[in-house]
Amino acid sequence: MALGEVRLDVPASPEFFRLARIMVAGVASRGGFTLDALDDLRLAIDELCFALVGEGREGRLQLTLRLIPGGIEVEGDARFADLPKRGPVLSALSQMILGTVVDGYEVILDASARFRMVKRIAQVS
Amino acid sequence: MAVDRQDRAELQRLFREFAKSRDSALRDQLVSAHMGLAEHLARRLANRGEPVDDLIQVASLALLKAVERFDPERGLEFSTFATPTIVGELKRHFRDKGWAVRVPRRIQELHLRMGTVIGELTQREGRSPTVGEIAQATSASEEDVLEAIDAGHAYRLASLDAPGATGDENPLASRLGQEDPRLNESEQRATLLPLLEHLAERERLIVHLRFFEGKTQSEIAGALGLSQMHVSRLLARSLAELRAVAQHED
Repeated sequence: MALGEVRLDVPASPEFFRLARIMVAGVASRGGFTLDALDDLRLAIDELCFALVGEGREGRLQLTLRLIPGGIEVEGDARFADLPKRGPVLSALSQMILGTVVDGYEVILDASARFRMVKRIAQVS
Repeated sequence: MAVDRQDRAELQRLFREFAKSRDSALRDQLVSAHMGLAEHLARRLANRGEPVDDLIQVASLALLKAVERFDPERGLEFSTFATPTIVGELKRHFRDKGWAVRVPRRIQELHLRMGTVIGELTQREGRSPTVGEIAQATSASEEDVLEAIDAGHAYRLASLDAPGATGDENPLASRLGQEDPRLNESEQRATLLPLLEHLAERERLIVHLRFFEGKTQSEIAGALGLSQMHVSRLLARSLAELRAVAQHED
């Protein structure tokens, strides 16, 4: 059965990242990812969600997941009630983690923070 | 002369000396001299379901970090600098513990069983197993397996019994062998290397192997004689700690 899109809409707070991790792992496991790859995805989701939300802000975080040929694609979109005091940046630490654990990612951090990432099964060892 | 009897001027002198020498004996003296502050803050958060000894341990670790980061030239009182750090770590401890205890017992038990099963499957198949394979081997549902994988990721603070992050017990460099010259070519990695000093030795090695040498979690587990799930848990906790340190230093 085709999975299509799977969406999660939660408050923009780290306490809901666990739901995001479980959902991403659940969808990816249907795509045949191994445990190592699932852990990579979970680390990536943590980093990306944290990059968007930080320690938590008034707003919503929406994740959209799709199984694509040979991999998985995740999009995140955070909408906040107010503008950040200073623009968040993707830290060197986050860049190092993401560069290792996924095949491609893009983060746009402005008033409406967004990300897109792709991980392919072929990379799994 | 015992440090806890020294006056403020003497402590300031010790901090200045430590800032120059980074001598671990001096650091320990400074930690001892301020243990009263750590215990005081830990006891303020007692009676909330966590053993006082655990809270003092968390506060002590935070105190150690604060001593290492304190810059005496800024003219700030050490207690003013250290209190937010210690209280922040204590709050994080409560948050993480609360998050962990909500995991149902059946999932906790499955998580423990999975440690052995994943090792056996990895050895048999020569690769990291899938969730379906783990579910079949443990007679659990895939949903429960997914939840159990996540259950191991309570980002708790490192125990004080764990190897120290700094100081004399630091054979890490010898275990890692020669520094990869490619590291020097990467400005990003050069920025991150000092950050790793905040981790205990084993965690630092795991982060290095995963992110600097590109080893998979299963490969690291095999190399260090740990289970994949243990490596996964240590890696997730280490990254959470690194993120907290990076934020603190921003």
